[in-house]
Amino acid sequence: MAFNQLVRKYQQQVYWHIRKMVIDHDDSDDLTQEVFIKIWKNLESFRQDAQLYTWIYRIATNECLTFLSSKRRKFFLPINDVTAELMEKVEASPELAGDDIQLKLQKAILRLPDKQRLVFNMKYFEEMKYEEMSEILGTSVGALKASYHIAVKKIEEYVQQD
Amino acid sequence: MTKMNKDFKLSDLPKRNMYQVPEAYFNRLPTRIMARTAAAETLQPAWQQSLWRPLRLTLAPLVLLLVFVGVFYLNISDRPTPAPADFASLAEVEIMDYLTSNDTQLETADFAELNSLADQELTADFLNVSQKAAEDELVYYRINDEDY
Repeated sequence: MAFNQLVRKYQQQVYWHIRKMVIDHDDSDDLTQEVFIKIWKNLESFRQDAQLYTWIYRIATNECLTFLSSKRRKFFLPINDVTAELMEKVEASPELAGDDIQLKLQKAILRLPDKQRLVFNMKYFEEMKYEEMSEILGTSVGALKASYHIAVKKIEEYVQQD
Repeated sequence: MTKMNKDFKLSDLPKRNMYQVPEAYFNRLPTRIMARTAAAETLQPAWQQSLWRPLRLTLAPLVLLLVFVGVFYLNISDRPTPAPADFASLAEVEIMDYLTSNDTQLETADFAELNSLADQELTADFLNVSQKAAEDELVYYRINDEDY
């Protein structure tokens, strides 16, 4: 598959995977490009025994987590401050205007720790199988199931609060 | 607007994508990415860039050291070397005049040095004559009998 075709095939999956983690479009755009540049540079070293989309998702996931942790380090911000910054961006989003429960759901998701939020997004929004998630995240299926279950409970509790 | 209730279940909420992208974003994105890959191909390879910085830091003091060493050796080679004294061509009178006019004095160190050489067979080295021949000469010319 030519690289151009690969970009066209996976660009939306990569972009939305990143966007749900970093929220801001410009950041998502930069990171999506970085992901594909990394794929292009390392395409020769790609091991054929792994699935291409698993490998691409792994790169995108690492980019997201690195971006968020470097953002916290760079500005000496504690976790809550970065979360508050992401919440402000969600609140400013015109798509969520007037939809209280969706806004509250997004805020509840943002309160989760980064890795748990990642697990939740992949299962809830992207509807991935636990086996696929396990390959991408290098975590056991059992641990992923537990993480998702806890995330759902936390979100439901938060949304129920007035 | 969806109403919140006390028995909220996530599964009851319809899934929807909350975010939007600029118009035709996904049509333009591949072109932008391909443009970046094309630009990266013309740039210096990353390993060369990463190698250049430590190499530069290593070479700078080395070059400086070489410059100092070069200047030092050039100074030494430019310095005029004194011509070796040709005592053979000097008249004995001139040597005697030099020694008497320059207030040449023997010091204790000179005696100490001479004393340390006493056991050595110096006659042969300096006079090119064996000790036996020298003693024969002293006896023959009765030099030992004379008072100095």
